[in-house]
Amino acid sequence: MDRRLDIADSTDWIGTPLAPFQSLENALRCQVCKDFYDTPMITSCSHTFCSLCIRKALTSDGKCPVCRASDQASKLRRNWAVQEIVDAFQAARPAALKIAQEHGSLKEGQEARRKKLKRSIQDTGPEDQEEELSFQFRRTRSQSRRAAAATSSQEVNDVVNGEEEYQPDDGLVPCPICNSRMKEEAVYAHLDRCDGQPSSQGRSTRSRASAATLKPPQRQPYPQQSKATTPPTERLPQLSYSLLKDNALRKKLQELGIASWGPRPLLIRRHTEWVNLYNSNCDSSRPRSKRELLAELETWERTQGGSAPNAGAAPAGVMRKEFDGQAWARSNHDHFEDLIAQARKKRTPTDATKEERTGDQESEKIQGSPDQDIDDEGKPAMINGGRNTTPNGETSGSRDNPYEGNEEALSIIRRKVEEANHGNTTQRSSTEDEDVPMANALLPSEQARAEEMQDSIEPLSAPSRKSPLSPTRKKPMFSVPEEPVEDYETDTQAH
Amino acid sequence: MATSVASKRLFTEYKHLTNDPPQGITAGPVTEDDIFVWEALIEGPEGTPFEGGVFPAELKFPKDYPLAPPTMKFTCDMWHPNVYPNGNVCISILHAPGDDPNHYEHASERWSPIQSVEKILISVMSMLAEPNDESPANIDAAKMWRERRGEYERRVRENVRRGLGL
Repeated sequence: MDRRLDIADSTDWIGTPLAPFQSLENALRCQVCKDFYDTPMITSCSHTFCSLCIRKALTSDGKCPVCRASDQASKLRRNWAVQEIVDAFQAARPAALKIAQEHGSLKEGQEARRKKLKRSIQDTGPEDQEEELSFQFRRTRSQSRRAAAATSSQEVNDVVNGEEEYQPDDGLVPCPICNSRMKEEAVYAHLDRCDGQPSSQGRSTRSRASAATLKPPQRQPYPQQSKATTPPTERLPQLSYSLLKDNALRKKLQELGIASWGPRPLLIRRHTEWVNLYNSNCDSSRPRSKRELLAELETWERTQGGSAPNAGAAPAGVMRKEFDGQAWARSNHDHFEDLIAQARKKRTPTDATKEERTGDQESEKIQGSPDQDIDDEGKPAMINGGRNTTPNGETSGSRDNPYEGNEEALSIIRRKVEEANHGNTTQRSSTEDEDVPMANALLPSEQARAEEMQDSIEPLSAPSRKSPLSPTRKKPMFSVPEEPVEDYETDTQAH
Repeated sequence: MATSVASKRLFTEYKHLTNDPPQGITAGPVTEDDIFVWEALIEGPEGTPFEGGVFPAELKFPKDYPLAPPTMKFTCDMWHPNVYPNGNVCISILHAPGDDPNHYEHASERWSPIQSVEKILISVMSMLAEPNDESPANIDAAKMWRERRGEYERRVRENVRRGLGL
């Protein structure tokens, strides 16, 4: 099921007869987390937020999110009144919303009925109300009991009469449970949080006992005030991280009982998070255990901390999902070339220009995308050369290359292997002479490679370098004379 | 899926936007598996050359949302002084108070945790109607807007038509 449907939101009131409740509910929600205030705190600039929200916001930029006045976490004060209102509203909300949604269309009819009800309350008493309400609410024991009692409604009515003392038609109606009188619009909201304790004497023990088991625990008004007079839990101080060395910081984290692994920035972020969690818990009227807080920190660790998916990556996020590999290859083409040329130079310290050209070609192979349009002279030469010279290569190289059209590279490689083997084993000078015109026209880098190989007498270097690009190659590679194999293997893998 | 503060708030915003969408704006996560990537559709404001167009954009939220702002990128052709040629939107509400790429924005216009997707999209909509050429992201577009308004509007209208497949 759609997860968002589970989330209470002020838009729930839209389209119901209680649409104005939307703004009421918005006013009871923290502007940062958009949820109901949880442990509301008031800032020096008189804005109210959840304790955790404002603490996080202050540690992140030290300003009130609404008016951007500078503030400090130590100046936050609890806002009990808001807490009280939010608790009351949240308790009333489900029932009120249900009524608003389900019976919105019937509202007018009900309105009329309730007026009638109010007038004739002594005759019908709560029975009608019971009927009206019980299909909308969880039927509590007290309600059922009262419904049963209502059948002999005389008894109830007596009590009502006794308590209410024939209240005049003051526009108010009594709560069917506790009999306190209120505006009729407020009855349903009140019912949900009514603990069954009558405003005056009466069936108090009976309904209180049953209500206690069925209703969510009701806070007495302002219990925190008494609690606040007792010394509050010690809040954690903010640390001035710049004064702490890594080891001291680690030790602090260990003392607090939280993970102390990871690099310094992570340690700092984790400590900040923990201090915020811990201190906001100190603010709360319903503090949670340290175990729960640690679980919370674990969630943070998974989503934003050291265990987050991209925590290991560079902060700049070099390898994001949208990372453009081709553009990266393009922009760093020269750099790659340099590196390859350098590596090559170490291996065969011969002619510098030849090396560079070989480097060009090699780097293109690494990028592995010959269709990439790199405006470097080496690459187009290679691509065009490869495509155009396949027939040439076959003729001048005096070897049949039965490869398909899209394997120009393979054919080139094969030819080169051939040349290398050829030149090494048989007529070196003649190969060179034959190859030069062809290669000059079309494949300068290959010529360079061929020469290089002959110079350094490394018949296998070309084949082994090329091997990753020519999986279908068969004979030339294996017909080559003795050579130290392992060395070239590693070289191949590197490419 | 860990219900972090960020994902919870995004779900709330998603629901809010679904139930009470502002005029001309639609937005929601691309998939419910990843609440941190949204797609938004913005209608071109009436009385502007963008009128009649529907402009898709992608919103990406950081894991510490709402402390840090999301990024927004139009996924269609957008010729506008405050939209980079690659589609990224440059608007003060998307800039955290700390970073001011163009050194002109008032702190009061910047990102704050109390902002929301809805406010971002409304701001972008009004940005379409009233470009801010003080800090152009697309200098060519800003120049054209300032000096050759007719050509600018023609080009925008053409983009709109192309975007609608006309």
